[in-house]
Amino acid sequence: MDPMLKVQHLSHNFGSHWALKNCSFQLEKGDFLFLSGPSGAGKTTLLRLLYASLPVQRGSVEVAGFDLKKLRSGQVPLLRRQVSVVFQDFKILPHRTVFDNVAIALEVRGLPPLHVDRRVRAVVRGLGLESRIGMLCDELSGGEQQRVAVARSIVVNPQILLADEPTGNLDPDLSMRMMEIFKQFHSYGTTVVLATHSPDLIARHPKARLLRLDDGKIVEANWPGAVIEHCTDDDETCALGQG
Amino acid sequence: MFGVICKLIARGIRDFGLHPWAQLLTLAAVTLVTFLSGFFLLCFTNLNNELNITHGDVVYQVFWKADTGMELVESRWQEMHHMPWLTEMQTFTPAQALDALLDNAQDGSSNPLKAHAPWLRDRNPLPPTAMLRFSPREADLAAWNKATREYLERLPGVETVRSNPLRDDLTRAWKSFANSVMWPIVGFLAFVLSLVVGNTIKLSLMSRRDEIEILQLVGARNWFIRLPLLITGALQGALGGACAVGLLWLAWYHLKDVLNFSPLFMELSFIPLEQCVLLVAVPALMGFVSSWIAVRN
Repeated sequence: MDPMLKVQHLSHNFGSHWALKNCSFQLEKGDFLFLSGPSGAGKTTLLRLLYASLPVQRGSVEVAGFDLKKLRSGQVPLLRRQVSVVFQDFKILPHRTVFDNVAIALEVRGLPPLHVDRRVRAVVRGLGLESRIGMLCDELSGGEQQRVAVARSIVVNPQILLADEPTGNLDPDLSMRMMEIFKQFHSYGTTVVLATHSPDLIARHPKARLLRLDDGKIVEANWPGAVIEHCTDDDETCALGQG
Repeated sequence: MFGVICKLIARGIRDFGLHPWAQLLTLAAVTLVTFLSGFFLLCFTNLNNELNITHGDVVYQVFWKADTGMELVESRWQEMHHMPWLTEMQTFTPAQALDALLDNAQDGSSNPLKAHAPWLRDRNPLPPTAMLRFSPREADLAAWNKATREYLERLPGVETVRSNPLRDDLTRAWKSFANSVMWPIVGFLAFVLSLVVGNTIKLSLMSRRDEIEILQLVGARNWFIRLPLLITGALQGALGGACAVGLLWLAWYHLKDVLNFSPLFMELSFIPLEQCVLLVAVPALMGFVSSWIAVRN
């Protein structure tokens, strides 16, 4: 069976700064991965590469059967219908209602209004936002806005769910609830990649896969699908996967 | 598919109310630029029309001697009908000329003309006259004028020939100028209008960059993102154009008689329907095109 996500010798630079250096790992369908590391380790860059927000410069990335190095611009929407993302800054439309924000992900797929309505209400109810469904998003608290972002991501039943610090703005109780939602979603067979720098969160889920990044390199992985390059800092050829 | 397109068009119309202040300012800018273009068009069209209608032709007035027999005069009138470039000819027998004079005289017993009308009819002093209007298309107008005047003066029984050559030369020069610059000016106005309207609408779309980004991130295809924005842009342009035509009509309504005094007697007319349609269609088209350029990437 083809892996759901396959990253090989992936390096990425912004000018002279290398944000990712020779990263290789793969995930099967239904895996749950914590992507951890300090700020600036390359977590967000890796996530952006996975949903084709950045072009693949070096190495290769395959996501849900799409080879991102060969991806044409017309295929990007097709990839993004398989991969949902929960952003650190939510990326919701503040002047539209909760319903509109969640429904938009289904509407772009051309689903009939009745189906959209039913599905949105079910997901919103599951996230405890039922009483807010007609409110504008800029009238919601930060935690509620984050739940709207999560609702928009899971309403489409994606094959892969990427989340960048999804519990960063939530209190401990709400964080637990949010993680339950991700776990429940994962139990349906969705591959989940969750970036966090919270050691507590990782410690509470010992069975999940863990990939720790530091300065753009994989420094720890708890399953054999990841390759850790033991390069010295001054051996740039090795660090960038050219060796 | 058709349902989705209808829904997107409806969303484009509904989105007009999303950023009311930004939209209102854009609308104001589009309206004012279109109004200025329309006002220039109004002035130019009126001036051109006025000169074309009233002064573009050469007019000759021919007076026969009062004692010339009407048989001879009428035979000349028949002959004159065949003159080249003649567009209009009015003839007056002495009796017809007197009737016209009395008709134009003020009513009332105090008016000496009206008071002595019966006496004047018995001793009519007016000669037979003819007024000839020409629209010559001659390369050498001066030579044509000279030849025409000589021909008319040589007619039997003719006493005087009057014409307005200087004014005609001036107005003919304007006509030639207007015909050659009219379309370049209209084209230039459309170009300026396009640039200003396009750029204004493009700037207003900057406020919706987040929305475009989010739609891309949830897997929307390009046409799904663009259609509502294009509709909003076109609507903004059309609405601005329509407001400008309304403002122009108000301005025209209050100014239409401002030049209607002696010796101009120039009543301003509103721009023709096709120009009104142009003033709405050009901003609408530019709104559409500039929105497309703005969201292209």
